[in-house]
Amino acid sequence: MSTATTTVRGVEQVTQPPQHGKPGGIMRHLNLGTGLLTGIVFAVGAGWIVAALTPSSATTPTFAPAGPEYVYLAGLIGWVIGFMLGMGAFIGPLRWMMGRDLTHDDAEYMAGKDLGVKRYIKFTTDHKVVGVQYLVVTLVIFGFGGTLAMLIRTELGVTWSEVFSPEFYNSLIGTHGIAMIIAMIIAVSGPLGNFIVPMMIGARDMAYPRLNALSLWLLVAAAVCLISSMFVGGMQDGWSAYQPLGSQAPPGMLGYQLTIIVFAISTAIASVNLMTTILTMRAKGMTWSRTPIFVYGIFASSLMGLYAFPFYQYSQILALTDRVWGTVFFNPLYGGSVWLYENLFWLLGHPEVYVIIIPTAAVTLELMPVFLRKPLFSYNFAIAGIVGVVALSGLVWAHHMYMTGWAPAVNYPFMLSTEMISIPVGFLVLVAIGTFWRGTVWTRLPLMAVYALVFNKMIGGVTGIYLSDVPADQYFHGSMFVVAHFHYMLMGAGLFGAMGGIAFYFPKMTGRILDERIGSIGLWTAFVGFQLTFGSMFVAGLQGMPRRVLQFDEQFNISNWISTIGAYIIGLGMLIFLAAIIFSWTSGVRASGNPWGSKSLEWQTAQPVPLENFEVLPVVTERPYNYGVPDPYDEELAAEDGDRVEKVGAS
Amino acid sequence: MTATMPPPDAPEAPTNRPPSMHRVRNWIRRPYARWVMVLTVVIGFLLLPLCWLLLAAMNQTGAPASEIMQDIETTVFVFTIVSIPITAFVFAVLVYSLLGWKHVSGDEVPADESPAIRGNVIGATLWTVVSSLLAMFLVVWGLVELAQITANSYGTISADEQPGGKDALIVNVTGQQWVWTFEYPQHDGLTSDVLYLPKDRAVYFNVTSKDVIHNFWAVELGVKIDANPGAITQTGVTPNKAGTFNVRCAELCGLHHAYMETQIQVLEKDSFDSWVRESGGGRTS
Repeated sequence: MSTATTTVRGVEQVTQPPQHGKPGGIMRHLNLGTGLLTGIVFAVGAGWIVAALTPSSATTPTFAPAGPEYVYLAGLIGWVIGFMLGMGAFIGPLRWMMGRDLTHDDAEYMAGKDLGVKRYIKFTTDHKVVGVQYLVVTLVIFGFGGTLAMLIRTELGVTWSEVFSPEFYNSLIGTHGIAMIIAMIIAVSGPLGNFIVPMMIGARDMAYPRLNALSLWLLVAAAVCLISSMFVGGMQDGWSAYQPLGSQAPPGMLGYQLTIIVFAISTAIASVNLMTTILTMRAKGMTWSRTPIFVYGIFASSLMGLYAFPFYQYSQILALTDRVWGTVFFNPLYGGSVWLYENLFWLLGHPEVYVIIIPTAAVTLELMPVFLRKPLFSYNFAIAGIVGVVALSGLVWAHHMYMTGWAPAVNYPFMLSTEMISIPVGFLVLVAIGTFWRGTVWTRLPLMAVYALVFNKMIGGVTGIYLSDVPADQYFHGSMFVVAHFHYMLMGAGLFGAMGGIAFYFPKMTGRILDERIGSIGLWTAFVGFQLTFGSMFVAGLQGMPRRVLQFDEQFNISNWISTIGAYIIGLGMLIFLAAIIFSWTSGVRASGNPWGSKSLEWQTAQPVPLENFEVLPVVTERPYNYGVPDPYDEELAAEDGDRVEKVGAS
Repeated sequence: MTATMPPPDAPEAPTNRPPSMHRVRNWIRRPYARWVMVLTVVIGFLLLPLCWLLLAAMNQTGAPASEIMQDIETTVFVFTIVSIPITAFVFAVLVYSLLGWKHVSGDEVPADESPAIRGNVIGATLWTVVSSLLAMFLVVWGLVELAQITANSYGTISADEQPGGKDALIVNVTGQQWVWTFEYPQHDGLTSDVLYLPKDRAVYFNVTSKDVIHNFWAVELGVKIDANPGAITQTGVTPNKAGTFNVRCAELCGLHHAYMETQIQVLEKDSFDSWVRESGGGRTS
């Protein structure tokens, strides 16, 4: 087809660029295979050139042999560029520069039209494909991070000898940390944000479909950088990679730094894309008071990610130049400041917690009305809670630095702002328990995950107030108590919520129901293991066990043994849950388009969801969550005293 | 209702009781409301032992050995007590939702039978007010305690300018991979790798590091501060209990971070002075 105009849905379109050859052009030949191939070729090539250029006597500013450092860095950069090139990430702009802009047919090809399963291993722009790809990537990173967690707990459970060398153990804790942070950041916003949000707001795709695919494949490139770092010594400094300790690490540190630099780009792109989509592409009639709470959650998370990640990226770029070119941003010998690094890092580090928590909380609130068959309790409070968290999220970072001696006077205001954040978080808890209140419980897996989430979040939240308090933090900072606390928040609330969210949307994403029995067994096994692991970790922290240690005094043995047993139970539970996902995906019960009887837009689409989601764009005419019947108690009350009772709910 | 037996909850007519009061009273009579309240109390009492269990775990190796640590433990105790009611209430709702309110299972979408409650002004206001008051209480408590602890640890004012500063013992703490060194400048620069402290006498710590960031944590004394390369951080404490306690590094500092720990010996004044003499520390202060 080489006509200059096309007809879309019976409407004559403005002039299209002429079509050269088959739709898709060179994109027809590019997929994950060519991406990997080009990436490896570029990595090896760049590494080889740098190896040839680096004299064997050269050293880095920290007097390490420069060869491995420079070769690895060049290899990583080569990998990222080559991989993205081989995936076809730059085809759009390249063709535009060459005067052969993408045509409508090209765009449809890139969206995966008529490609079948092949579209899942290509640079596909369809948001549903990207969502599924994100889900797979998330599971892979979780598997990687989870395996490392098992190794860590093995080391800590074996209290009578060292299982791993300190080098390997330290790289385990750092890589586990950052892998899980990345996985949790994308766990909800990636799969559900991409797959569900456009459908939920009644749009045909994201605002920038190609950027959508770009963010996903940048993430893949970053993840490979991270995993590769394990093979060159790893990053041995905890995920925070405090300087100047970071400069002592083996070349694996570069893998971490490049991962963060690339991941921050990926996050920025994804955030802008989601925010633009939500702001501009909501269906007619979907006013802000009719927008589902999950959309608010994703928007808030994207907004926080957008301002927080640049700090992290800067900190790692500066640390990278310190390491490779001898700049002294963080080197106190030459007037650099270690506190500068800590500030930059935690300016990301704390908003990042809410980047993780808010989407899971929001997807929880989104699914609760469906399974309790009643509206969300205090929709406005839920929005207020999210807005409050976003507003305060940027003002609390220095509570990670109470004990650094950086500026003791600022501990006062940061304690204030940190404890204030319990109020908007409390709003979200209120909305959750208010929605539980008197609801008919439909005992399905997604709702069961919500019980787990609220339970864990209460424990994580309450232990958080000890840590937010400077005097108590003077004891707890840097101890196992902190580790237990943030696992209760990020894993107990974040991951269990994400499991619920994925179980909820599984039928829409895969066309099959997530196996109720196996999934529940996995979920509750993991839940029990979780309480054992991190409950006893609180005890270890209270006893005074520092975090990130390889060996410890005998008094901590018992709590660590329990913790390790619990960790294996979590591992077992997660494997069962993973098995439920895999078996259900391949051979589960086929789902109808709307198996949960939900009233929101994303469930009104056909199954499988057609390329452009909606044949005719929907118009929203009512508030979300119109479930339930008028409260019989209210009617009784009205009848009793003749008062005019405000009619609420379905009308 | 018969005329002879007015229902016990019927308002007397005419009534000037405000309708909202009436609704609250009516609400309290509902069985689930009573159950949730009962559950809240039961769960609250079940959680109550935590207040002491937390402290018991903290006190295993002899804490509190200073007023600072005492303040920390009081804070933990108070925060636990304050958070129990709200935690108990949330757990009570979860439990009652699992056990008390109606259940449907099976794959069929259940009928819409739940009450369409989109909000509750009294409930939401109550929650906001209570949670804000709790947060305010935590903040005020924290600020007061922080001021207290800062005073007890001599803030960042140099030793000479402190009230009674001349009497205080100064210890220069240096972290390096992976040992602690304690220098006593008032005692001819006597150095030790075990921290000897006199009981009931103010001690100032000038903390620094030779290489990477460490964290000087005198566990049972409740002292914790980073040891930063290129900077000196200051803190202090008055140990009030003789005994053997622990110093641990609480900031990942490289390969042997786990082994960067040593002992604190808090000695009576006489024992401390004789230790100083025997170790060649010259004059005693």
